[in-house]
Amino acid sequence: MQTTRRKLVLAGAMAPVVLGMPGRVFAQAGSYYKDKVIIINVAGGAAGGHTRYARMLQPYLQKHTGAREVRVVNMPGGGGLKAANHIWRVKPGSPEIFFGNVSTLILAPLAGSAGAQSFDPVKFNYLGRVTSEPRVLSVGGKSAIKTIQDVQKLKRPFVFPSQGTDEDFYTMAVLGDALGFKVKAVTGYEGNADTSLAVIKGDGDGHITGWSESLGPIRSGDKNPILMVTSQPSPDYPQIPIALNIAPASKRATVQAMATILETHRSYIGPPNMDPQAIAAFRAAVTAALNDPDLIAESKKGERPVAPMEGAIQQKRVAELAKSSASLEPILKAAVKEIQ
Amino acid sequence: MIDAMVAGLAALLTPQALLFMFIGVVYGLVIGILPGLGGVVAMALLLPFTYGFETAATLALLLGAHIATIWGDSVTSILFSVPGSAKGLALCFDGYPMTKQGQAKRALAASATGALLGGIIGAIFLALCIPLIRPVILALGPSEYLMMALWGLTVIATFSEGSLMKGLTASVLGVLVAFIGMDVVTATPRFTFGSDFLMEGISFPVAMIGLFAVSEMMKLAIKGTPIVDRSLVKEESTVWQGVCDAFRHWWLVVRSSLLGLWIGVLPGVGASVAGLAAYAQAAQTSKTPERFGKGAVEGVIAPDATMGANEGGGLMPTLAFGIPGGESMAILLVAFIGLGVVPGPDMLTKNLDLVFSMVWIIVIGNILVTLIGLGITPWLARLPSLQANLMVPIVLSVCFVGAYATRGHIEDVLVAAVFGVVGYLMDKYRYSRANFVIGMVLAVMIERNLHISLTLYGRDFLLERPIALAMLAFVVITAALPFIRNWRRRKLAQAAGAQS
Repeated sequence: MQTTRRKLVLAGAMAPVVLGMPGRVFAQAGSYYKDKVIIINVAGGAAGGHTRYARMLQPYLQKHTGAREVRVVNMPGGGGLKAANHIWRVKPGSPEIFFGNVSTLILAPLAGSAGAQSFDPVKFNYLGRVTSEPRVLSVGGKSAIKTIQDVQKLKRPFVFPSQGTDEDFYTMAVLGDALGFKVKAVTGYEGNADTSLAVIKGDGDGHITGWSESLGPIRSGDKNPILMVTSQPSPDYPQIPIALNIAPASKRATVQAMATILETHRSYIGPPNMDPQAIAAFRAAVTAALNDPDLIAESKKGERPVAPMEGAIQQKRVAELAKSSASLEPILKAAVKEIQ
Repeated sequence: MIDAMVAGLAALLTPQALLFMFIGVVYGLVIGILPGLGGVVAMALLLPFTYGFETAATLALLLGAHIATIWGDSVTSILFSVPGSAKGLALCFDGYPMTKQGQAKRALAASATGALLGGIIGAIFLALCIPLIRPVILALGPSEYLMMALWGLTVIATFSEGSLMKGLTASVLGVLVAFIGMDVVTATPRFTFGSDFLMEGISFPVAMIGLFAVSEMMKLAIKGTPIVDRSLVKEESTVWQGVCDAFRHWWLVVRSSLLGLWIGVLPGVGASVAGLAAYAQAAQTSKTPERFGKGAVEGVIAPDATMGANEGGGLMPTLAFGIPGGESMAILLVAFIGLGVVPGPDMLTKNLDLVFSMVWIIVIGNILVTLIGLGITPWLARLPSLQANLMVPIVLSVCFVGAYATRGHIEDVLVAAVFGVVGYLMDKYRYSRANFVIGMVLAVMIERNLHISLTLYGRDFLLERPIALAMLAFVVITAALPFIRNWRRRKLAQAAGAQS
C-alpha cells in the first residue's frame, strides 16, 4: 500500500514535467523559428523514400517550430553527397537543413569517395533521427540460393546488382569480407526498382534494401529475405538471421560498426556553423513532431514507421562511429577500387 | 475478365471519381504547359490531397493529371519550341516548323488526336496483354534496353541532312555534355572541375529549354518579328485538318502506340527515349523522310501517340511487381499504400477490377484532354503571332522560371542561358540541335546498359540474349531502310532515264 502511495506521489510529482514537456518544447522551438522559413534539403528525388518522410514530417515540423513555412526542396545527386556538400557550405544563419542518410556521410569519406573530401561528418549538427529501417539482403524468389549459408557455399562470386557506391554497396562489401564470400558488384543500375527487377529476373543473385522497400516483393514471393544487417534481430521476423550472429568472432566488430552506422539512417542534419539556439529549437521540434499522436497515426497508416533518436544522442553516436569504424576503411576502399 | 472490365468502369462512374478526373485533367494541362514541370511534379503536388477518398477517385485524380501533362508538354513544344519536359522534345522537331508555316491549329489538333488514339490503342492492348505482362517484363533486361537506345540513335541520320559530319559532331557534343557529373558506373566525377553543382550533371530539360526556347527567342529578338508574321504567313490550317491527319495516318498511330506500350513496359527507359524512338520509326518508315524536321505532320502524330500509349505500359511494372518503373509510378505506389492496395502478382488476378479502372482512367482521361485541347486550340494557335517585343520577355521569363523549377538550383538559370547561346550558334552554323539532345538523352542509357550487359553476360552478350539480337537486326534494317529506298529510287530514275 505504502509502495503504491509512493508511486502515486512520484507520478504526481513527475506529471507536470512530463505533461509540460510538449508545451515547453513548443515554446522553445517557437521562440527561435517563429514566423521564419525553414528549408529542408532532401537528399534524393521527388518520389524517393527520404522525400516521403520529409513531406510526412513537414506540417508537424511547422506546427512544433512555429515557422511560417517549412519548405521541402529536393536535392538529388551523388547518392546524397550533393546535398551534404551544400549544407556543409551554407552561410551562418542560413535556414537550410539537410534531410538524408547519416550513414552516407560516414561511409563516403571512409571509402575515399571523391565527392566526400570537403566535409567532416563529426562537425555537422545532428538534429534527430526520424526512422531506422533494418537493411535486408534478399535473393530472387526462384533463386537456388535459399539461405545465407548457400551464399557462403557458392563456388562463384555472388552477383550483386547495385546503383553505385551507396550504403548498400558498402554494406555488401563488408558482408562479403566478414562472411567469407566473393561479391561481384554490377554497378550502373538506376535505382532500387532496377536492382529489384534484376534480382527477381535472376540477372543478379541478391541486393540490399530497406525493409519497407522490399516488403511488397517479399510478401508476393518474388523475393526471399536471407539476412538482416542490424544490431538486434527483428522481433517481427525472428526467422531471418542477422549478420552479427553468423559472422566469425574476428569480424564481429566490423559487422557491428556497419550495423550501427546503418542504424543512423534518415535524419535531420544542420550545418557545422549552426546557431546553438537553432540547434536546440530544431532538435526539440523534431522530438515533439515525432511524438505527435497525429503523426504517429499517419505513419502507421502509410506504412512509414518512425524510430526517433534525439539529436544530442545522435551527435555522440556519430563521433563514436567515426572513431570506431576505421576497420571498415580498407574494405570499402578495396570495393570501390574493384569497380573502377 | 469482362466482369472486371465492367466493375472497373462502374467504380469510375461516381460523381466523386468523375469530378476528380476533371480536376486532375485541367490541373495536369496547366502543369504540363509550364516548362520544367511535368507529370512527376503534378502527381507529387497532388499526393497530400488524396487520402480519405474513394480508391477510383484518387487514382482518377493522379492518373488524370499525369495523362494531361503529355499534351500540355506538346503545346509549348509546338507553339514556341519550348519543351515542357524531356518527353516533349520530339514535338519541337516538326511541330514548331508547322507553327512557323501557319499550321499551328493543325499541329495542335494532330498532336491531341494522336495522343488520344495512342492512349486508347495502348489501353486496349494493355487490357488484352495483362496475362503476358509478367513474362514480358522478366524476359527483358539491360541488353534489350541497350538495343532500344541504339534505335533512338539511328534518328541522327534524319537530322544530318547536308553534312553527316556536322550531324555527328553535334551528337558527340551532346554525349560529352551528358557525361558531366558522377559517372553512373564507378561514381567517379567527370568534367566537374571540382564544382558541386556539376557533380549532379547538366539537367536535360534545362539544356533543352536553352537550346530550343532561349535560342529561338534570341533569334526573334534579333529579327524583331513574331514567330509567325501574319502579314506574311496566314493561319490557314484548321483543327479538323489535324484530327483527320491523325486518322489518315492510322497505321503510323498503331505502330507508334505499340512502340509506346512496349517502351512503357521496360522500366527505366523513359518517355524522352519513347518520343525519340517514335520519331525515328516515323521518319525511317516514311516514303518521304526528307520532309521530317521541316514540318511533317507525321513527326507530330507519332511521338504523341507513343507517349499516350506509354502511360499504360508504364503502369505494368508497378502493378505486376510492386516495383515502380519511374518517379511518377513511385508516387502512384505511395498512393496505393495510402489506399491499402498492395501491388504485386495478386494485383493482376485478385484486384483486376482496379487494374481495369486504371485502364479506363487512361481512356476517359485521354478523351477529356483531347476534347478540352481541341476546344482551346484556336485560341492557343494565336499566341505565336504576338509581337516579338511582347513574346520574347514573356517566353524568356517562363523559360528561366522553368529552368529554376526543374531542380530548384539558381545555377540552372545560367545553364539555360549558356545553352541558349550554344543553340543560337548551332542553328546559325547549321549544326543540328536535335542531334545534340539525342546524343545527350541516349549517352548515359547506352553507357549504363552496355556496362551492365558486358559485366553480366560478357563480351558475347548478344549471343546469350536472343531478343536483344533480334532487336539489333531490327535496328539495322530500319536504319538501312531509307538508304535502300533512296538507292532503289535512284536505280528506277536511272532506268527511266535510260529508257527515254
